Formats: sequence, C-alpha cells, structure tokens
Amino acid sequence: MIRALDLANLPDADVVALALQGRDAAHRELIRRYERPVFSLVFRMVRDRELAEDLTQDTFVKVLSHLDRYRSDFKFSSWLFKIANNVAIDHLRRRQLDTVSMDGSPHAMTAEAVESTRFDVADVAENALEEIEAKELGSAIERAIASLRPEYRSCIMLRHVEGRSYEEIASTLDLPLGTVKTYIHRARHELRRALEHTRE
Amino acid sequence: MNHRHLLPNEIDLLVDGEAGFGVAPLRAHILECPDCRERLEDARIVVDALEALPHFVPDARLADRVMAQVPVFVPAHVAARDSVRRWLPQSAAARIAALVAAGSGALALTLGMIWVALQGDLFTFATGMLGERVRLAVVGAARDLAVAMLGDAALAALQGLGAMGAALLFLSFLLAAAGTIAGLRRLALAGRRA
Repeated sequence: MIRALDLANLPDADVVALALQGRDAAHRELIRRYERPVFSLVFRMVRDRELAEDLTQDTFVKVLSHLDRYRSDFKFSSWLFKIANNVAIDHLRRRQLDTVSMDGSPHAMTAEAVESTRFDVADVAENALEEIEAKELGSAIERAIASLRPEYRSCIMLRHVEGRSYEEIASTLDLPLGTVKTYIHRARHELRRALEHTRE
Repeated sequence: MNHRHLLPNEIDLLVDGEAGFGVAPLRAHILECPDCRERLEDARIVVDALEALPHFVPDARLADRVMAQVPVFVPAHVAARDSVRRWLPQSAAARIAALVAAGSGALALTLGMIWVALQGDLFTFATGMLGERVRLAVVGAARDLAVAMLGDAALAALQGLGAMGAALLFLSFLLAAAGTIAGLRRLALAGRRA
C-alpha cells in the first residue's frame, strides 16, 4: 500500500505513473498539490468563487480522466495550467465578461454611455459570499488585475504568482515567446497605471 | 556617454533580474539616471505586489467531488498484486517470521506425507479394519430397525426374496411415500383456494 508520505516526496511524473495504475491515492495527491494554484488562477480570472470552484473541478476532471494523454517530457504543471487557463478563457468568452471595468465599458463613446456602464461596488447589494469575495479580491492590486485582458491576466499570474519562466508560459499557453513578453510588459504597464490612480 | 533613457523592455530585463551580456550597461545607467531609477522602482513595486499575492484555498471537498467523476481503472495485474500484498505483513521482521513459519509448516507436512507413504501397508490395514467395523455397525442397525418395524417373520420373508426382491420392495415403498406426499399437498392447496 502506498503511503501518503511516500507520494508527497515523488516527482509529478512518478505520481502520474501511479495514477495510471489505478491508484486512487495518486490521483488525490495530484489534486492536493495543485488545487490551490489552479483555483487561484481561475478565481482571479473569473472573479466568482462558486464559479471558480466549478471550473477548477472541471479542470481536474478533464486532466485526471485523460492522464494517458500526458507526455512526461513536458511538465505536468504546465499541462495542468494550460487546461485550467483554457477552461477559464472559454467560460469568459461564452459569458462575454472580458473585463470588469469599474469605470464604465471600454467601448462606451459618450459620457452618458460611460455613466450607464459604470460599475459601482458600493451600490451592489452584497450577500455574505460576495462580501467574502470583495475582501479577498478587494485589494488595489487584485482590482487592477481584474481590469486586465484575460490573456494579460493569465500571463502575469503565471509569471509572478506561479513563478513560471517566460518559456514555460509560452509553452503552457501555446504562445510565441515574444508575445508572452509583450503581454507581460503591457500587463505590468497597466497595473502600474492602475496602482498610481489608487495612490493619488 | 549614452544619455538615452532605458526602453520599457530594458526596464523589464532589470525587473526580471536578468543577467548576462548587455545588462551591465543598464545597471550602470540606473545608478546615474534618477528618472530611470524611479521607473524601475515603480515596476518593482508592481512585481512585488504580484509576488505577494496569496494562493486561495478551494472547498475542502474538491478532491471528493473530482474523484466522484473520474473513472479509476485498476489493471488486472495491479489488482492481483495488491490482493497478494494485502496478506503480507508490513514490517520486514514480520515478513521474515511469516516466511520461517510457512517454511516450517511446509517441511512438517512434507515429512508427514513421506512417513504415511512409508507406512502404506499399515495404513491400508487400519483403514480396511475400520471400514469393516463401520459396515458391520450399519448393517446391524438396519437389521434392528427392520425387525422393529416388520417383525422377525416378515424380515425372514424379505431375506428370502433376495437382493432383487428387497430392491423392488424398497422402490415400491418410495413410490407410495411420494404419492402420499403429493396427495397431501394437493389437498392442502385445494383447501387454501377454498
């Protein structure tokens, strides 16, 4: 019988191999290792805890149901984050929630249109769950991240929260290296501008 | 001396802590240029804030919900190996003790079988004598039962019929018993329907 302590010391590729042998404990070890970073990435993408739970669950179900497709010459975490990012992006595209702009829609052309699409946090009736979300995601940097395009958001999260290299991010998101660098540069620029506004 | 300010991607190189050829002049410029130093500092504030972001914790039942939807297939050879392992002791000392005990048991059984084989005649005689005693006991009990049921005269007549006659008589008895049981059952069923 495989002990939990033994599994915790194994590299991802070995745990995956054990999972492919039908070891329930190995499946759970993979979930245990990555549930927090995957959930964090998805939560910051969709900004809804309950939805993020569902999408995280979908991500792990997809990954663990198709472990036979994993190739050990790539990092398991990169493959997992790729699927998580795709799940979140697909949802955002379906729901057309590309940005949460609290200063009005970026497509608004007149002052009236801006005013009508402004999102005022104070006016939204918050239940207990929304209050928790607001606290979790209420810091200036979190609100600034929310205003980024999803592609920028993915790149900046993988770079600075998950500590991935530019090359890993390019591999994970199937983007050219130059595009990743551009996205991260633009994301940093936008975040800097957003944080300057909050400091003023 | 190069008076141009650093380009945005050069600021990014310094923020990312890149090393190598071409970075040293950038660091030298930072030491001399307050504007670029301020831009670098602003960029570092953003990166520091990002790197300090916490991981959020999902619901504790996430793993259970995921595993409820994931089909876990155990290959046959793995299942067989697990079944055998379940019977094996966990510690090395216990496994050695189990091996010694099993080996001793196997050796004793083998020696016992060899002894029995060597004592073949004695064994055959013992079982034969025992079998004869059992046969005599069964025949005696049957005779006593027949005398109690039929009486000495009937028993003597039965013995005169020989084996074939006795078999026919017994078969008749079985048929009569079966017919009686069937008839009683029919009566009971008819009584229930009524």
